[in-house]
Amino acid sequence: MNAPDRFDTFLLADGEKKVTEEADTRIPSASTFTFNKEDHTLGNLLRSHLLKSPHVRYSGYRIPHPLTSTFELRIQTDGTLTPRAALQQTCRELVNDLSILSREFTKEWELRKMVGDGARGDEKDGKSKGPGR
Amino acid sequence: MDYGAMDVDEVGPRVVIRESFPDRADFVLENVDLAFANSLRRTMLAEVPTMAIDLVEVDENTSVLADEFIAHRLGLIPLNSKQIEDVLYTRDCDCDQYCENCSVTLTMHAKCTGDEIMRVYARDLVVAEPRPNEWVGNPVITDEAGLGAVICKLRKGQQVRMKCIAKKGIAKEHAKWAPTSAIGFEYDPNNKLRHLDYWYEINPIAEWPVDEKNASWESEGGIQQNGEPFDYNAVPSRFFFDLESIGNLEPDAVVQQGIKVMQQKLAAVLQELAGDENRNGDAGGDGFGGQEPDGMQGGEYGVDQGYTTPYVNPGATSQWGGGATPYGATPYGQSGWNQ
Repeated sequence: MNAPDRFDTFLLADGEKKVTEEADTRIPSASTFTFNKEDHTLGNLLRSHLLKSPHVRYSGYRIPHPLTSTFELRIQTDGTLTPRAALQQTCRELVNDLSILSREFTKEWELRKMVGDGARGDEKDGKSKGPGR
Repeated sequence: MDYGAMDVDEVGPRVVIRESFPDRADFVLENVDLAFANSLRRTMLAEVPTMAIDLVEVDENTSVLADEFIAHRLGLIPLNSKQIEDVLYTRDCDCDQYCENCSVTLTMHAKCTGDEIMRVYARDLVVAEPRPNEWVGNPVITDEAGLGAVICKLRKGQQVRMKCIAKKGIAKEHAKWAPTSAIGFEYDPNNKLRHLDYWYEINPIAEWPVDEKNASWESEGGIQQNGEPFDYNAVPSRFFFDLESIGNLEPDAVVQQGIKVMQQKLAAVLQELAGDENRNGDAGGDGFGGQEPDGMQGGEYGVDQGYTTPYVNPGATSQWGGGATPYGATPYGQSGWNQ
């Protein structure tokens, strides 16, 4: 009856923005970014990768309510770069990592194909003769 | 902006494929963090687009099953989704309801004339020809007899005649669009990190069998109680995936598509953040001063070594293409994998 539409979890509504930034008024170099139509998949990914930056002092995310498909990502930096810049940097690095992963996977898969499906396992296989299921 | 250099990610993610079958891939993902691996898993489970029957027009149904019952079963039949990039989302297409650019039409027409009870199988779905590419929409048939899933049974004189419209979608909307039936996911099989605290009667090692294949893969081998001091700073960095495809996409395609969907998510964020900046710049009052100090970021896009990911809008949204974009023309598949 009043169930939200299925596509509400991934389709932006008219005029809705993917990300909005709200700067913290009391702490310098701190912002809360609100992401719409995203969930833990992106939230946790960004959070954990942001923490790897030496300029990021704090990053955490929360989903304010489980029935709304939105999350808030809070970032505080040491001031050498803005939270927004840190976020952009992180996104770019992740996209880059994913391209590397894509290439690696293609390479490995092609290799595997050449070896032929008959020969399973590889260099470590001697060690792990587990049941193939 | 230099911290990337000192990161362990310098080498980037590594993959070892342990087993590959037409419907299954067993691989180890290394040198990434838990969040990354889990995001990939979640994306492959729920956000990789596939084809599935979404609309059924019932012309005739004199079988014992109700229309909606059969419609539901039709929806769950896996359909080939190879090179799904060629198919538009119906919501992004120009057409009124659906067309050959954003859907595939399958018809099912079966009538039982003999005395025997007749079965209608997935192979009895006839695919109408103008369609986005030569594979998309074919029912997945993997059994030796070449029949596919049973849709319904008919007694003498009963018949079903239906027109099914298959559309592109993701499993977040409905599980019928799922590309995988399961993804096995494990890290630290020997529990060296002690993320698990096993309940046990006498001996946790005897009572909690490990996955031998994964456990022996960890070169450090040893089980946790072998006297070495506990490294409380250690984080998981090796993840064991066992991906099982339903048959609509090959397992490697599921992985590649999952990666692409994640990239598109991140690209959408970048796009939005960049867009905001420009707007702020204008508001700042220097008119068409245009490229603000942040212009450098624009530069960095291009500088990336040989990096070719298309920064396209994720198909789902329409923030800057709108419905009218004929983005079948988007140079999607340029990441070099051909499937």
